[in-house]
Amino acid sequence: MMPSIAIVGAGPSGCYTAQALGKALPEACIDIIDRLPVPYGLIRYGVAPDHQGTKAVTRQFERLFERGGVGFFGNVALGRDIALADLRAQYDAVVLATGLSQDRALGIEGEDLPGVIGAGRITRYWNDHPDTENDAIGLGRKAVIIGNGNVAIDLVRILAKVDGEFEGSDLGGHHLNGFRNASVESIDIIGRSPAGVAKFDPVMLRELAKLTDARIKVVSAAGEGKVVEALAAIDGHDPQDAQKTITFRFGWTPTRLAGEQQLQEAHFTATDGSGETLVLPCDSLLTAIGFAGSEDVPSPEASEDGFIEPGLYATGWFRRGPRGTIPENRADAQAVAARIAADLASVRSARPGRDGLAQLVPHATDYHGWQRIDAAERTDCPADRCRIKIRGRNQMLDLARQKGMQ
Amino acid sequence: MKIAILYGTETGNAEMLAEDIAAHLADHEVEVTNLSDFAPDAFDADNFYILVTSTYGDGDLPASAIPFGEKMADAQPDLSSITFAVFGMGDSEYPETYNFGGKRLEELMTSAGAQQVGERITHDASGSDMPEDLALPWAEDVVRQMEARREEAA
Repeated sequence: MMPSIAIVGAGPSGCYTAQALGKALPEACIDIIDRLPVPYGLIRYGVAPDHQGTKAVTRQFERLFERGGVGFFGNVALGRDIALADLRAQYDAVVLATGLSQDRALGIEGEDLPGVIGAGRITRYWNDHPDTENDAIGLGRKAVIIGNGNVAIDLVRILAKVDGEFEGSDLGGHHLNGFRNASVESIDIIGRSPAGVAKFDPVMLRELAKLTDARIKVVSAAGEGKVVEALAAIDGHDPQDAQKTITFRFGWTPTRLAGEQQLQEAHFTATDGSGETLVLPCDSLLTAIGFAGSEDVPSPEASEDGFIEPGLYATGWFRRGPRGTIPENRADAQAVAARIAADLASVRSARPGRDGLAQLVPHATDYHGWQRIDAAERTDCPADRCRIKIRGRNQMLDLARQKGMQ
Repeated sequence: MKIAILYGTETGNAEMLAEDIAAHLADHEVEVTNLSDFAPDAFDADNFYILVTSTYGDGDLPASAIPFGEKMADAQPDLSSITFAVFGMGDSEYPETYNFGGKRLEELMTSAGAQQVGERITHDASGSDMPEDLALPWAEDVVRQMEARREEAA
């Protein structure tokens, strides 16, 4: 019998693993499981709503399900709906590709104050993740963003944009209303490192020069290299009648967040040891300093090619931590797939595979269910949006099961 | 006609498009190769080369095409007997570096003396067209132009 492989997590790492496995083991039966009724994970819920070009990678993944025979089991959470041991009993190999979604903590006083928000949480909110269904995140007039990477730039850009600048995106109108009410006026982006070693992609910085309602100020961008050049290029950006101000600051370590009931100030000391301090008054503080696993699913000890133990593998951020872009995870997925193909070469499969899983998770939704959700999201949206995501889990499930409105 | 499709990719989008073009040109003898597995000394005048590449980073070639780009720049081969066409993929969200990948490959080929067939065009990931909707008619067209060239020469 052909070997069967289950991949847990339908984000980019899981999908790239399925793609590489499909090439390496064309006869294998491959299924992808996700806790949501919709696939694509970080592409759908992490990549910014105004970066549709980056999201276009899902066209590759659609082919896996539409032509490649890969199965999708949505609405199935590992640990909640099926135990790992039971899943492993169905398949010759199981690949964990669940990513890392928890925001890393700053580890300083005042972090629990209302107004302190992790990048992952607000990104899921802007992307209408069902876990944020009941959230209403306010940002006030002054926002501070801590971080030196592309996620921090995404936050700056989304906060700085106004209505017309979201044309073609899939940002929900309710968020724009939220921005209007909040009317963020100042956005400070601040990091520990000097500018020369900041992890921004220069191209992401340059994109900020297109903003129509925000001026840009760069304070003390010491060092050299492409990031410093890009910062110099956008410094002084000053569109007519701009209502917002973005300020880049470098070399500050956060020490304490202060406020009564609600965040009011962020305190920093100079990273260079000079003892200099800085206090930024703020209504909200967004942390973009990386992601971590949840305590219930610790990342396993896995080899470079994803092997944990016979029949069990890990890939993507779940294996190697929150480093690397989408294409780097593609390379990782290809390495894991090559390892699995080699390990399964001599395996004579006697496991039930897809049919066995289907019996264990009768409430699972399938790829056709996702196609109905997808169609509804693309159809039922204003002309200046490419889609409006359905935020409610129950509404998703109704559509996926073809109940309720079409 | 013998057609060699060479692709440079980072996310796999250009690879998928290269495979789509190959399937569309299945009446010909078509071979698809990742630029990471191709060296400039392998160019063969019998082939018509279709290059498909994305753009990455700060207007760079995508990862799988970078070694090829370096080898071309170092070796400076004489490709005057080689014919090629370029299809680029870019994202107009980044206007300053839009489609630099395709432009760079075109420069590398023409400066080595290779003869370009048809116009280089670019798919915009932030636009509304699907890459294959642009690329498949374009590929048919450059292949027709190439056939006409060969007939003229014969």
